Amino acid sequence: MSPEKGGNNQLEAKNRPAQKEPHRTADRLRIDWTTYGTTVVLVVGIIITAIFQPVFLTVSNIANVLSQIAVLGILTMAQTIVLISGGIDLSVGSNVALSGVTAGLLFLHGVPLWVDCFAALGCATAIGLINGLLVAQNRAHPFIITLGMLTLLEGIAELVTGGSPVNDMGALATILGGTIFFGIPTAVVLLFIIVVLTALFLARTPLGRTAYAIGGNEEASYLSGIPIKRTKVYIYTLAGVISGIAALTLSGILNAAEANIGTGLELQSIAAAVIGGTPLIGGRGGAWRSLQGVLLLGVVSNSLNLMSVGANYQNIALGVIVLIAVMVQKNR
Amino acid sequence: MLKVENVSKQFPGVRALRSVSLEVNPGRVHALVGENGAGKSTLVKIISGAQPPDSGRIIFNGQVFEEYSPSYASAYGISVVYQRQQLVPMLSVAENILLGAQPRRTRFLIDRSATYRIAGDLLNRLRVKVDLRKRVAELTPALQQEIAIAKALYRQAKLIILDEPTAALGPKQIERLFELIRDLCSHGISILYISHHLEEIFRLADRITILRDGRLVTTQSTSDLTQSAVVNLMAGHDPQRVAEPAAIPAGMAEANSEVPMEALVAEEALLEIRGLTAGPVLRNVSLSVPPGQVVGLTGILGSGTHDIAQVLFGLMQPVSGEVLLEGTPFTARSPQEAIAQGVFLVPENPARDGVVAQLSIAQNISLVDLPSITRFGLLQLREEAQTAQKYVSVLRIAAPSIMREVSKLSGGNQQKVLLAKALQARARVLILEEPTQGVDVNAKEEIHRIVRELAATGKAVLVISTDIRDLLLFTDRMIVLREGQIVDDLSAEEADYTQVLNLTLGVGESE
Ligand SMILES: Nc1ncnc2c1ncn2[C@@H]1O[C@H](COP(=O)(O)OP(=O)(O)OP(=O)(O)O)[C@@H](O)[C@H]1O
Ligand SMILES: [Mg+2]
Repeated sequence: MSPEKGGNNQLEAKNRPAQKEPHRTADRLRIDWTTYGTTVVLVVGIIITAIFQPVFLTVSNIANVLSQIAVLGILTMAQTIVLISGGIDLSVGSNVALSGVTAGLLFLHGVPLWVDCFAALGCATAIGLINGLLVAQNRAHPFIITLGMLTLLEGIAELVTGGSPVNDMGALATILGGTIFFGIPTAVVLLFIIVVLTALFLARTPLGRTAYAIGGNEEASYLSGIPIKRTKVYIYTLAGVISGIAALTLSGILNAAEANIGTGLELQSIAAAVIGGTPLIGGRGGAWRSLQGVLLLGVVSNSLNLMSVGANYQNIALGVIVLIAVMVQKNR
Repeated sequence: MLKVENVSKQFPGVRALRSVSLEVNPGRVHALVGENGAGKSTLVKIISGAQPPDSGRIIFNGQVFEEYSPSYASAYGISVVYQRQQLVPMLSVAENILLGAQPRRTRFLIDRSATYRIAGDLLNRLRVKVDLRKRVAELTPALQQEIAIAKALYRQAKLIILDEPTAALGPKQIERLFELIRDLCSHGISILYISHHLEEIFRLADRITILRDGRLVTTQSTSDLTQSAVVNLMAGHDPQRVAEPAAIPAGMAEANSEVPMEALVAEEALLEIRGLTAGPVLRNVSLSVPPGQVVGLTGILGSGTHDIAQVLFGLMQPVSGEVLLEGTPFTARSPQEAIAQGVFLVPENPARDGVVAQLSIAQNISLVDLPSITRFGLLQLREEAQTAQKYVSVLRIAAPSIMREVSKLSGGNQQKVLLAKALQARARVLILEEPTQGVDVNAKEEIHRIVRELAATGKAVLVISTDIRDLLLFTDRMIVLREGQIVDDLSAEEADYTQVLNLTLGVGESE
């Protein structure tokens, strides 16, 4: 399906002899650094860390890094879909908290685990649906709508837990918090599946395509017959579902559920997506790109840990990385 | 005055300019022409500092440009008036004109009364009548353009670049603009004028520079050239090459196959509007279009032509009256509903309302009909590419590949992508607003041909445009609107330009 072989060039060749041909290879060799900025930074980061801290490349450390980023990675997929559609979802972190707490409290009261999991997913989906309806029906910017939702959900989670964490998630801890074959953490496998599905969704489904379209130009999409409101409802609902999966994963890994467990995750997911190359303005980006942002954050914090850098310095370093990565992409 | 020396510019996959040189003299109108994608806008961007060249240099009044930035260029007296304005819609006329260089009372306080006085003087000099306090958003495109020219003058512009300035203007407004341009020239200001309308260029320009595929073809005095010579030079060979048109492939243009053939034979109207009253101006409008006909709808801004399109595409609700499609009542509350019933609209401003700039050519075309390339819930990208490839060849969209982002196409080619979308929508009734706006001479003929061929497959085509000359070339009928009412409905063969123009303006009817 190489575009270069298309009929258009036959046509051009017919009409305009000896045009672009000599320059083709030069064009192809020309690398657009803004597209690969994150990849380059990521690879360089890995190499440097590996040189100074050989431990970094051990299997157990890699597994460690990956399981640390699994939850953020899953959540970033939710955020990526919303960002591409021209929106933003600040409530993903508090959604994780409330959905996790839902499962935890039900489990505490003796409800079977599988019911708890479905309840958590249902809760997360409902939150996404409400976000979607509010965003679709109102002219207010999704930033402020989901900010309201964030505060609201945090409040509810505090209220129902009474401020104290649920410290037992039963089998969830051994399933999602454990490993499957060859000692690979289940959460990492789950992350991989979610990323693949998100990539497939964005590239190959009509809804994914319309997400790009309305994020790029809502008016033109409307005039193309795309149901804008319905699309938005679907997008935010889907983000809710993915947040629910992140909630279960996090509860499993920690073997706990807590009202303030998701605090800051929303900003991290936005940062990871943007660093990876899914811009805030919508219409562009993708699952693999966003994943690179997540990996970069994970690698940096892991290498700082290995070098026993203090938490405050770590934050400073992370902030600098975010700024650098975003500046590299500025000129697109 | 302005000297462009061996300027080259390359984008990934496209050499937009190759060693182009030209010279503009003081107080003259210099025209820049070329087919869509020839590199005109790119050259403008370089001269105005919006983009640096890869090589070559710009010399202005003996000064070699050392830096490429809009503020640098404007400090030297170069201003660009773009077709779609760079004014701030929510600021007043006066504020826009003086923006960024307003008189101050103190270091931090703007002197409002001086702002209004200076703006008022300037507009008087240009004989532009407008309320200085009005927000720019409320003005017509024509006035906005004049405000932009005033803004350039306030900045002491010595060279004003007009990139397709007449695209959004009616005939009368075009005359106004020409007067203004001549007036500017008599004050020693130079104009670099870009347009696809050769008759305008032959009326205005002293010299013409022709670009083809990013190369300079020639620069000559207008008096040494003829319109057909320019067309030939732009195309690089005899324009008769268009005589081997790639016909619209079967299947591509086919409407719903359930439409019985009798519909073609019968004189029954495909689209009928009865007593339509809608929006601020439309009053009791009735018209009918049989299948196979191309109907031109013209009128000055605010005459109601645009509102008819809005009603047919579900963007405006009628107050009274009805619309019938093949005899059955039609109502649409959204474009989606209109498209489902077989009506499609190509809006007049492709960049704003038509295309999604971030998506590729192929993705834009398929957007209007995603279900047709969806199997088992997944988009069939190969089919999408094949469809796009067909349109790219039929419409001769100039792009290195169908994967190219639409934002990276020239204006005229974006317009063609939109037309491809309209074909892909498989509508029975097609409404085209200013379909040949910003399209080069040869492409215009192609679009005429495509529209005619579409109609021949049994569609009803409504073309809404202020370009009367263009409409007369390819429509069967011309419907003229004035103040929300139909003033005449005449066969395009009998109608002539001045007659229709006078009808739109409501003058000289007794002639
Ligand atoms: N930002 C960009 N990135 C890549 N290619 C570009 C970009 N801008 C323009 N081009 C390409 O450069 C060529 C020249 O474009 P340009 O806009 O200068 O044409 P033009 O002569 O103004 O055409 P039109 O009459 O259609 O406006 C085109 O092939 C276009 O696709
Ligand atoms: Mg142009």
